[in-house]
Amino acid sequence: MNPIQVLIESFRSMAANRLRTALTMLGIVIGIASVVLLLALGDSMQRFIGKQLQMLGTNMVYIMPGGDRTAAQRAREGKVAVLTRGDAEALNTLPSLTGAAPALQGSFKISAGNENLSSTVLGVTPAMFTIRNWKVDQGTLFGEADVRASARLALIGQKVADQFFYRADPLGRYLRIENVSFQVVGVLAGEGRQPDGTDLSEQIVVPITAASAHLVKSPFPQNVHYINAQGRPNVAMSDAIEDMKEVLRDRHRIRVDDPDDFRIQNLSEIADTANKISAGVALLLGLIGAISLLVGGIGIMNIMLVSVTERTREIGIRMAIGARPNAVLLQFLAEAVVICLAGGLVGIAIAAGGAALITKFADFEVYLTVSGMLIACGFATAVGMFFGFYPARRASRLLPVDCLRYE
Amino acid sequence: MTGPLIDIRGVTKTYLSGSVETPVLHGIDMTVERGDFVSIMGASGSGKSTLMNILGCLDQATGGTYLLDGVDTLSLGRPQLADIRNRTIGFVFQSFNLIKRMSVAENVALPLIYGGMGRGKAQARAMVELERVGLGELGQRTPSQLSGGQQQRVAIARALATDPPLLLADEPTGNLDTQTSDDIMHSFQQLNRERGITIVLVTHEADVAAYSRRLVRLKDGRVLYDGPAADGLRQFTTMPAGVAP
Repeated sequence: MNPIQVLIESFRSMAANRLRTALTMLGIVIGIASVVLLLALGDSMQRFIGKQLQMLGTNMVYIMPGGDRTAAQRAREGKVAVLTRGDAEALNTLPSLTGAAPALQGSFKISAGNENLSSTVLGVTPAMFTIRNWKVDQGTLFGEADVRASARLALIGQKVADQFFYRADPLGRYLRIENVSFQVVGVLAGEGRQPDGTDLSEQIVVPITAASAHLVKSPFPQNVHYINAQGRPNVAMSDAIEDMKEVLRDRHRIRVDDPDDFRIQNLSEIADTANKISAGVALLLGLIGAISLLVGGIGIMNIMLVSVTERTREIGIRMAIGARPNAVLLQFLAEAVVICLAGGLVGIAIAAGGAALITKFADFEVYLTVSGMLIACGFATAVGMFFGFYPARRASRLLPVDCLRYE
Repeated sequence: MTGPLIDIRGVTKTYLSGSVETPVLHGIDMTVERGDFVSIMGASGSGKSTLMNILGCLDQATGGTYLLDGVDTLSLGRPQLADIRNRTIGFVFQSFNLIKRMSVAENVALPLIYGGMGRGKAQARAMVELERVGLGELGQRTPSQLSGGQQQRVAIARALATDPPLLLADEPTGNLDTQTSDDIMHSFQQLNRERGITIVLVTHEADVAAYSRRLVRLKDGRVLYDGPAADGLRQFTTMPAGVAP
């Protein structure tokens, strides 16, 4: 009996019992749909995180003053933990780093013309532009000389430009930050979330010295809020972090036994963890789908057993006219596989619909991969084979004489 | 191949239900030459159906030997027995045993397909067999759309599709009225005479047995009579003599 004949017979017996076939298929449909959709979701989540990771810049660390102890603890010990521009400059010379840049950050009142709002302003040195790969769409970035001169210059994001200088050229215009005028010299290119939670297009960036003198107005002008540093791609991040610790401990004169008075946060590590969590969640969801597949498979087995019993006489007739046991086995196995595969295809279609819905309404791109669909088809076939085998074997082992006697 | 088509020696069959042994056949000896037409008769429980099942390789004997066309069937495995049923034996059953989901032509083609023939070729061959039994136009119908007599003709066409040398019929007229029975038995006789097909049939009706050349009468699992049908039917006066063909 050739495979085409086997398939024709399978479709025929499925068609003979449409409602039952459909209900049997349902378990597989739901199982495959959920497995495919959840795998796709997990995939998309990882892609999303990967994209975020790329945006953060690779090998990026945040260094913040303060270490593991609370401010109160440190106060009792009579120590104040701070990071200074000097620290950043020292780190900047480390061979294991591509650069280190200090930053001051705060929320200030911004105004221009009639527009008034409160926004985050970042004070940086040009080193920050390199590390974060910032570029301008229009105008120029400010330079070291501007920092040294505490020049009141500002780089603004596209949204800020739109808001304050709607349709007008913002270059050369003035923004008032805490009632101090800053001249706009450039509009930052790009948008998207930054590691500190702000949007690049909503950013206002000024020289760190100007921020210190006019905005933060700290009595310690050298102090910074944090330092961004980037490890060289060919250096292990852990080595680079060790180097940074050594430099900072040395500069802060921390004794060997004493804890650090700063904290180094490895962003890619955080992203890695997020990645692992999302992979775990995807796996868990996939597992739930797999369980529904299992239940569906048991349904298939159940129905196939009923079908074998119902068709005992037919099996006897087939055997009497020359069907080998293997031909009977193949026929029932093919039926189970065809049901599962058909259910799998319907499931994939439903998953594709689900993915399209999520993409449309959740602002989160989910799409099925070819490999995912192939895996699903393989899975459906495997379920059919696995759960169809026992009933099929049972059918093939029946004795023709017993089958023909069966009423 | 020369030698008898069927050669059984000392065949016994014992059914086991739990630990209780029920012997049904107590050593049957019987040979059937090529081209013969044999009826097997006997009361219920005489073992005629059991013997038929063994002859048809649907069941295996507990003891003895069974040479079918020179092949020792008791030494064969299930796939080989299936092949023998496919090529050497054609079955006709009392209840026709057609597969209801399939068309008449597909039913007839099925043994050919199990024999490895392609679908198209098997269908064409099936139509030839259907023409032979006079049902050429009904190939696309389903069995349930046919009368009992027609269904039995389809079953005969199916039995002969692979051109087997042996036709086994188990009460082939049991579900048919007298007129149709006669028609079917005439067909059997014709097949036996014109195509040289060896026929063994089980019946409890003397009228039916009368069409055959030879009669084997069983009682309690033993052969009671084995000889010409006419003599055999006459010996048992309780049975009315059959109508001579």
